[in-house]
Amino acid sequence: MAGKTIVVTSGKGGVGKTTTVANIGTALAKKGHNVVLIDADIGLRNLDVVMGLENRIVYNLVDIVEGKCKSAQAMIRDRKLSNLHVIPSAQTREKDAVNPAQMKSLCAELTEQFDFVFIDCPAGIERGFKNAIAAADVAIVVTTPEVSAIRDADRVIGLLEANLVKETHLIVNRVNQKMVKKGDMMSVGDIVTLLSVSLLGIIPESEDVVVSTNRGVPLVHDRSSRPGIAYTKVAARLEGEEIPLDEDNGVKLMDRVKRFFMG
Amino acid sequence: MTMFSEGGPPAQIKADRDGFVLAPSPDAPISAIVEYVEKRLRESRDFFFGSKMALDLRERPFRPDEIAALRQTMEEAGGVKLAEVRIGDDHSFVFSWVGQQLGVALKEYKESGDCAPKPQPVIVRTTCRSGARVESPAECVVLGDVNPGAEVLAAGDIVVFGNLRGMAHAGAWGDRSARIWALSIEPNQIRIADLVAVPPKGGKPVPKRFEMAEIREDRIEVTTM
Repeated sequence: MAGKTIVVTSGKGGVGKTTTVANIGTALAKKGHNVVLIDADIGLRNLDVVMGLENRIVYNLVDIVEGKCKSAQAMIRDRKLSNLHVIPSAQTREKDAVNPAQMKSLCAELTEQFDFVFIDCPAGIERGFKNAIAAADVAIVVTTPEVSAIRDADRVIGLLEANLVKETHLIVNRVNQKMVKKGDMMSVGDIVTLLSVSLLGIIPESEDVVVSTNRGVPLVHDRSSRPGIAYTKVAARLEGEEIPLDEDNGVKLMDRVKRFFMG
Repeated sequence: MTMFSEGGPPAQIKADRDGFVLAPSPDAPISAIVEYVEKRLRESRDFFFGSKMALDLRERPFRPDEIAALRQTMEEAGGVKLAEVRIGDDHSFVFSWVGQQLGVALKEYKESGDCAPKPQPVIVRTTCRSGARVESPAECVVLGDVNPGAEVLAAGDIVVFGNLRGMAHAGAWGDRSARIWALSIEPNQIRIADLVAVPPKGGKPVPKRFEMAEIREDRIEVTTM
């Protein structure tokens, strides 16, 4: 069984890479796939916090590549799903503790056992980024509808192309349809035109994200959460299902309903 | 390029990593330069004393006796040592000096100029994304967009078969007749030769087919075709 290695990256920090990894990974695991999430942000560990697994860490990514433990020993099993694992990063080391070749061999080993290997990339385009993308078959670029985030996403897409990552997808995070309508926020259409990569999903802005991060429970476990639903759809698209994109668009749906009532 | 207008100082003393640099103005007479240097060094003798100074002659060829006079003035007026003499592409005065030393005229025979290959235009077949920089010694053709944060420089024209949103510099070596062509020009900044333009605020007409930027009366204008 050869799984897919997917890197989630953005260039700019704080756009939702870790949230995206946690939620897509959890959604795919809920559907029965074997999934492992690797936190490649060495020195700034936080995927384990978002997954609510912080207190169970014994070994980490650097221990694996340095041969101090087997990869299976460093994997932490999720609290709810037995087919979802997290490899945390080291908090007390630096990015150069790992090199791209080591990431490649680790991911090659993991794809033997898992259907999906997700890599949570650090912000920036330096060493940590190069480590994270080294083994990737697919890249998911996360951006928000802000010019600065889009500029960085554009740079990252260029770097991914230069590093021969064949498949690149885009997720636009924190979209506020009300603001887009008023013309205060860039529309998803404009962003896709500029970046010219395939759109994998639109995640609406929501307060639920903060709550879920603080509780350490990914949003996809909550069926009523709009970003959770959007992430579930992203996961389905990654599986190959075709789900039209405008369904994510909560406000538009509401508008249609309204129009229907107004007659 | 004339850096100093008439009436400006006959020379400039600058500081760089290796010490001081004396750059004489290209049109100043030698007597004025020597006088100026002497005045400056005497005024600030304590500051300059014991330092090294390079003589930058890239703008103004000198005769050897002029260099000797300047060197003597430096040492006497400020205790400054002449560290090096910088020369540009024009080696003729070096040849004439060597010729005088040898007592025979030196003549340079270059390989005939027309065998040098003409620089080829650069063709970019992808979108130029943020962080990309394309430089061309001739024309530059981009088959795709130029996104914000990307830079395209060309000695000649720039043609973009897409939207130009990044920075484009046509005629980068000073050719004011260079033009920029694109399906849509909405950049942060465009440059042609030595001019820089920022697009006006507010909406712009939607281009029918393409747009072209060129210099008209010392300013960059964009025409929608």
